Formats: sequence, C-alpha cells, structure tokens
Amino acid sequence: MTRCLDEGKLQCYFDGELSIEMMESVTSHLASCVTCAAAARELEEESAFVMSALAAEFEANVPTERLRERINEAVAGDRLATAQLTQKATQKASGLAGFFSGLLNVGTQRTLGYASLAVVLAFAAIVGVVKMRTTTTPPQVVDEKTAQVGNIQQPNNSNAVAQASPDRASAEIPEDKLPARNAPKYFVAVSYKKPAPASTSPQVAQVKLIPGERSYLQAIARLDSTIKSNKKSMRPALQVEFERNLAVVDRAIAATRSAAKSNPNDPDAADFMFAAYQSKVDLLNTIADARVGGGRGH
Amino acid sequence: MSAEVADTERAGSKLRKKWFAVWAVIGLLVSLAGATAANELSNPQPGEKIDRSMTVDPQAIVTLCVASGTLKVRGWDKDEIHVRSLDAAQIEFKRIDKTRDPAKPAGRVDVMVLDRSGAANPRLDCQALASVEMDVPAGATVQVQTRDGDITIAGVAGAYAGSQNGDIMIERATKLVEAGSVGGSIYLKDSSGRVNLSSAGGVVEVINVRPSDDEDTFEVGTVSGDIQLSRVSNPKVTAKTVNGTVTMTGPLAKAGYYSFTNMAGDVVLGMPHDASFRLNAKVSEKHDIVSDFALKYLSEPPPPPAAKPRTPAPAAKGKVSGPVVAPIMVERPAVATQYVRRVSAICGTGDATISIASFGGTVRLKKI
Repeated sequence: MTRCLDEGKLQCYFDGELSIEMMESVTSHLASCVTCAAAARELEEESAFVMSALAAEFEANVPTERLRERINEAVAGDRLATAQLTQKATQKASGLAGFFSGLLNVGTQRTLGYASLAVVLAFAAIVGVVKMRTTTTPPQVVDEKTAQVGNIQQPNNSNAVAQASPDRASAEIPEDKLPARNAPKYFVAVSYKKPAPASTSPQVAQVKLIPGERSYLQAIARLDSTIKSNKKSMRPALQVEFERNLAVVDRAIAATRSAAKSNPNDPDAADFMFAAYQSKVDLLNTIADARVGGGRGH
Repeated sequence: MSAEVADTERAGSKLRKKWFAVWAVIGLLVSLAGATAANELSNPQPGEKIDRSMTVDPQAIVTLCVASGTLKVRGWDKDEIHVRSLDAAQIEFKRIDKTRDPAKPAGRVDVMVLDRSGAANPRLDCQALASVEMDVPAGATVQVQTRDGDITIAGVAGAYAGSQNGDIMIERATKLVEAGSVGGSIYLKDSSGRVNLSSAGGVVEVINVRPSDDEDTFEVGTVSGDIQLSRVSNPKVTAKTVNGTVTMTGPLAKAGYYSFTNMAGDVVLGMPHDASFRLNAKVSEKHDIVSDFALKYLSEPPPPPAAKPRTPAPAAKGKVSGPVVAPIMVERPAVATQYVRRVSAICGTGDATISIASFGGTVRLKKI
C-alpha cells in the first residue's frame, strides 16, 4: 500500500471493521508513512475526545424521544380503552355488580404488564436465593493439587506490573496469603473442605493444576488485569500484534500442558510448560510496558 | 443656495468616509500580512530543516524519543551532538546531569522534539510526529524510542532502542546493545559487547558479534519470529522462541555456553567440521535430532529432583553406543516412558557446551 489512507479507511481501522489482511496492510502503511500516522493520531484523539465527552450519555439509559412518544401513546391508548370499557360496563350493569365488573375488567396491555412484572419478580427471587447460597459458603484453604481452573471473571484492582517472573519456588508461599481472587481470566476456584456437589457450580471446568502452575496463572492474571485497567485503548497495530502472539503462546501452553499432564512423572515435560508460561509472562510484560511507556525511562 | 451647500458638505463627508474605509482596509491587510509572516517565522514551512548542535562529553548519554517517525543515529569523531529534522517545529536540548557544571560539557542530554502541531496544541514529551537524524560522539550511549517508525543506529558505544512496530537496525556498536520491538524485526551486525534483543512478532538477525569483555552475554528472544545468528562469539549465548526457527552458524567460542529453547520450530546449528562441543538436548518423543557430526553418546544426565517420586528409568536408557558415522539420527529408546527424551553426547573434546530444549521441532547439527 503506497497511497495515503483516506479518513474513511482510517475510521474503519479504528473501529475494527477491516479484514485481517487489510488491517495488517494498514498497520504496515502507518508504520512507514508519517503523514498517515499523524492523520491516524488526530483521528484517534478526536475519537477519544468525542467518546469522553459523550461517556455520560452512553452510560445513562435515557429513553429516546421516539420511545418516549411511544410510551405516551400507549399510556393514552390504555386510558382511552379503559375509559371506554368502564363506560360500557356502566351501561350494562349498575350498582355493586358494575363495580366488581369494572375492577376485574382489565385490558390486554395491563394483563401483559402484570405478567411481565410477575416474571421479573420470580427471576429476581431465584437470583437472590442463588446469590445468598453462594456468598454464605465460606472460602477455605486452597489446596493447589485440587484447585480448579475456570474462566470466571473476577475484579482486580492491582495496577502494579509484575516485573518479577514467577519462579517455581514461589509456589511454596503459604496458601492463605495467595490472592485467590486476583484472577480475572484464569480464575482459580477454591476447593472447600466439604466439597459441594458438582451440579451447584456447573460452569467451573474440572481441571487440576500442575504443581507450580498456579503462581504463573496468578502472575498472568495480574498482568492481564494491568493491561485491561489501562484506560487508554490499545492502538490497533499493537493490539493486532499482541493478539497474534498471544494466540501463539496460548497454543504452546496448551500443547505443553497437555504433555505435562499426561506425563506426570516427566519433569522435563513440566519444564516445557513452565517455559511456555514464562513466555506469556514476558509477552504480557512487554505489552504492559508498551502501553504504560512512552517516556524516556530515566 | 443652502441646498447646494448642504449637498457639497454631504459629498465631502462621504468622501472622507470612503478614504477612511480604504485606509482602514489597507491597514487591516498590512497587519494581517505582518501577523502571517511572523507566524511563518515561528513555524517553519514543511520541508524546512531544523538543525541544532551542542557540545557534549565524549561518553555522553543521549536520549531521543518520538511518537512516530524514523530515527537515525550515527556516531562521529566530534564531541558534539548534532540533531536535524525536516518534520520538527522545534528541537531543544535538555541537560540532565546530576551536577550541572557549566564549565564541563554535558554528560546526559535529552533531545526534546516538538512537531509542527506543537505550537497550537503542545504535545507531551515523546509525543512528536517527526523523523529525526542525530550525530553523536562515537563513545556515546544513545537511548532512542519511537512508536511507529524504524530505528537505525551506527557507530556508537551503547545503543538502547525500542519501537512498537518499526524495525531496528544497529551496526558497529562497541559496548552494549539492547533492542526491543513488539511487531518489528531487529537486525544487528558488526558489533561487540553485551547484547539483549527481543521481538514478539518480528525476526531477529545477527551477524558478526563478539564480546568486548569476558562477561558479555548474548541474549535473544522472540515469540513468533525466527532467530538467525551468524558468527556470534560471545561466551554465553541464549536464544529463546516460542514458535520460530532458531538458526546459528559459525564457529563456537572455546568454553562457550549456548542455550536454545523453542516450543515449535526447528533448531539448526551450522558449525565448522572441527567443532568441539558437548550436547545436552531435550526433545519431545515425536521429534528427532539429526547430526552431521560424529557424536559419542554419554550416559543420560541425572534427572532433576522432582517433588513426586519418579519411576525408575528403564535400563535401555543407559549408555548409548558411539561414535556413530554421520549423518546420524538419534534413535528413540525401545521403551519410552518419558515424553521428553534427554540426549547427552560429545563431539571432539567437548570444549563448548550446547544445551537445546526443543518441544516441537527437529534439532539439526550441520557441518559448514
């Protein structure tokens, strides 16, 4: 790609609407063309400005004018229908019989409204019961050998970039000091002294951790959280490269982990797995530095 | 009569107003022209070169940082830094010595670059969009950084270079090189000293690197890029990749230590026919070690301590017969209870040590 990029293509680039081939082509062009890089930067800044200015609007669930009109129309129609029905009822019956018929005479929309309300209340009650059951069960000491890996997301407030690579010795840290909740993507579920039936947590994958693996998962989770907590959106070029290499590392981890798991008596197989994990830690560190960086480093 | 006088007075008044309007317009035009000229003086036109120089210590540390643009740094035989750019609106030197003795030349300097949008909307440090060329003393150490652009450094003592997506080319560095890129490739040649190169997605190519000190190590790592090393004579060489091919050609340093690790991809070592080394390799059961060299196999090294009690190794994995006529393919043991095979062999007197851990590729030892 030698010609400069038009604004439409740049906007598509930032919106992630281009094909992978076109994305890579635009990325390489931006890397070599100062003019387009400047234009891209301006567009990026404008988008960021607009997004920040409209953030409050996006967050608030304000009904649109059309929706409001439709609601008003529906309310007016409902009132009219009710009034007509009441008038008819008054004409047909009188006294106490008329009063009861007016009370029980509900329109179609009102019926739907009652039904919806009942469904919502029932759903809220179910969710509340499930939530209470979950929160009342106290977490117990984590046993690495029986810990389970899942993909439940957990909040993480850690902003520190994990510079030190997790060594295998760190797996010897007392388990009660390990931040079991600091694992947004690679949630390490705690195992209880009285394990609950499997049916109560069907979404947690039943995967046993290999000794020493957990410290890597925690380091990765911290770095992942750091990268995601950075408010600045990752530049598309960096994101494309990051995701491509992350996929490579994840494949390597999956392959080596499978080998280590199926050969538990082979420490070399586990070493390969740890090397793959270390590569992921290194990659995440690089990306975290690239996002935080921009300074001179002194 | 009175009507004529009134008309004459009205005509004179109109004339004065017209003259006043004409002069006002002329004045406005002149002032606008002056303001534009002044603005042009402060903001150089595109294509106009900004050029700045400063006397510095021969071993000064110089940093240069932009958001986007190509950076070229060259070492020269003057105790002076000379920076120029066609895109920049302003270039300034910021002396950051701890002891700012005006009698002495600067030992640490930040080169601050403002691009043309800087006047109306000043960007922060390292945010300029400009390509910059810089000459520094040959004994200087430079630290250069750009987000989207290539970096070229030649003839300096130390080079730290970082680019997110651009390529990095370094040659004739004499003391140390550290370079990192996320998506770009790294090329290093004809240099000496400690070396550390890393790229996530780009290739790393190195030609003719030697140590300047006995302790100078050479480290290189990629995620998906290939690693190609040619004539690297540092005493300790480490190359790691996840999904790339590692190729190293050239003589081995006597008593040198070479470590290669990859998860997928081959490890190819091209060495002189008289190479003398000891090989410690770990390869997965599914992959081979192919050697042009006659290797004498040694007994398998003791396994590392494991937390769990290990099952005893089969007797067949004891001593392997040798020497073997090249090329050879290391045979798998008859009973393979381990996923990863360990091979320990010696070629010649075993001066250098080669340690290879390859999970998903073939190891090739070639004669060159």
